[in-house]
Amino acid sequence: MNSGVLDTLQRGVEEETYYLNMGPQHPSMHGVLRLLLHMRGEMVLECEPIIGYAHRAHEKMAENRSYIQFLPNTSRIDYLSGMIYNIAFCQAIEKMAGIDVPERAEVIRVIVCELNRIQSHLLWFGTFLLDIGGITPFLYCFDDREEILGILDRVSGSRLTYSYGRFGGVTADIDDVFISQTRSFLDRLRGRLPMYEGLVTKNVIFRDRCKGVGVITVDQARAYGVTGPVLRASGVAYDVRKAEPYGVYDRYDFEIPTRTSGDCLARYEVRVAEMEQSCRIIEQALDALPEGAIEPAKMVKKVKSAAGEYYFAVESARGHFGMYIVSDGTDVASRIKLRTPSFSVMSAAPDVLKGTMIADVIAIVGSVDVVLPEIDR
Amino acid sequence: MSYVGSILSGFWSLLNGLGITARHFGRKNVTLTYPHEKPELSGEFRSLISLIQLPELGTHDCVACLQCEKICPSYCIKIEGGKVEGMKRKRASKFEVDFALCSLCGLCIDVCPTDTLEYSKLYDEAGYEREWVFDLLDPFESLEEEFREKQREVDAKVAAEKAKKKAAALQAKAEAEAAAAQDSPTSGGEVQS
Repeated sequence: MNSGVLDTLQRGVEEETYYLNMGPQHPSMHGVLRLLLHMRGEMVLECEPIIGYAHRAHEKMAENRSYIQFLPNTSRIDYLSGMIYNIAFCQAIEKMAGIDVPERAEVIRVIVCELNRIQSHLLWFGTFLLDIGGITPFLYCFDDREEILGILDRVSGSRLTYSYGRFGGVTADIDDVFISQTRSFLDRLRGRLPMYEGLVTKNVIFRDRCKGVGVITVDQARAYGVTGPVLRASGVAYDVRKAEPYGVYDRYDFEIPTRTSGDCLARYEVRVAEMEQSCRIIEQALDALPEGAIEPAKMVKKVKSAAGEYYFAVESARGHFGMYIVSDGTDVASRIKLRTPSFSVMSAAPDVLKGTMIADVIAIVGSVDVVLPEIDR
Repeated sequence: MSYVGSILSGFWSLLNGLGITARHFGRKNVTLTYPHEKPELSGEFRSLISLIQLPELGTHDCVACLQCEKICPSYCIKIEGGKVEGMKRKRASKFEVDFALCSLCGLCIDVCPTDTLEYSKLYDEAGYEREWVFDLLDPFESLEEEFREKQREVDAKVAAEKAKKKAAALQAKAEAEAAAAQDSPTSGGEVQS
């Protein structure tokens, strides 16, 4: 933020401050986030995020039901990357109980997870631009997103809350139609990315609106445990898929897009570049799709595990998602702690939003891509 | 960049964007005017569960094992059932699903030992009360008596055959033992006692 502008504004307004409630019902606030802003004129002096409006006690529910009964909950923690969370929970349980997963199921998981990631980024792309005043890209990217939802609906039977993973595999096999649909989608998306670039990335209004706004420095990001595209936009190339490869991610060749400026524009660029990387992963996975079973011959109903503590982390569309499971040896978890990336990003908000303009608050909160049900759980 | 240059390049970027938007005017519509046009459902579409009419039985094959009731995360399935007079397998007499609670996870379908559950394609319905209970056995009510008659006959036949086989086996055993007793007279006394 240009300090000269700030000084002028500060001098211009009277030395009076007031509080402004942004949300939980606000047209450009994400979900049910409520920001209590302490303002002087148009400048934010202090910001306090108030969360908990979408609290559904997922962690408590996990203590009252068996592991397999918790499975449908996982898609509902973060409704935009339901597939990734669902499969992550299956992978955590497999690690805990030592269940083997067939090769084909592992590759299918990678494909559907990456499709889910693209879908989440496309939705973010649309809503972020909608927040800062561009309606047209929203309509185009939802058209693209609809295609992914159709593909995932055909294989899992649902558009958002998939429940597609099972302990030791997946519920349904993919067929030739799925493969050809996915390939044609990838071609289509690659054809549309230059259009988005012309429409948005090169747009002078968009660039001026985002450049240098809401800078999250590397130190700030590290201090608050910020992960995912937000951290990568600050210049740290941390991605769980590379840092601690899970599933069969170590087989695929992809890059971690990073930027160094840490502002809204950098976050935008990182996410758009990530979509392209996800396309590359899906292509490689489709090329080397092994034959075979997709789930164990006998369904795993009861999970047998030794008492102890287990941690499993994946890279969700928003960052490092971890599950910390405390098992007492029975079929019901003693405790499941969900470490969600949006929560860490939101905890950095008071620091980042301090001293910004109210119009930039919308741009910053839109660019970090928080999903409120994931924060509240 | 000079002042004029930045104005020109900014203007050019806006024109460029406008051109992209203009090209979309000629495109085909992608929206669907529901409910006048209905979307095509995918084959895997998940809705309320229903019982499958198995061709070899002529009806469903729910044996009231209660596995789906036990695994259901939403506790929305209630089954009653038990032994039927003259039949070997158990039968369900009530299979209630509260669709208002169901989260469509599909665990009941995966766990069914007789594979008699599937997803129905119900999609444009709404519940108006807190409880929205369907009895899945309703469509099978008229088929049940006929099936039971048939099954009783089949079971009786199987039972009779089994009894016959058992009797034959017993007789053969007794004969063999008698023959063995005749061969070795020292142990004959024991066999007869």
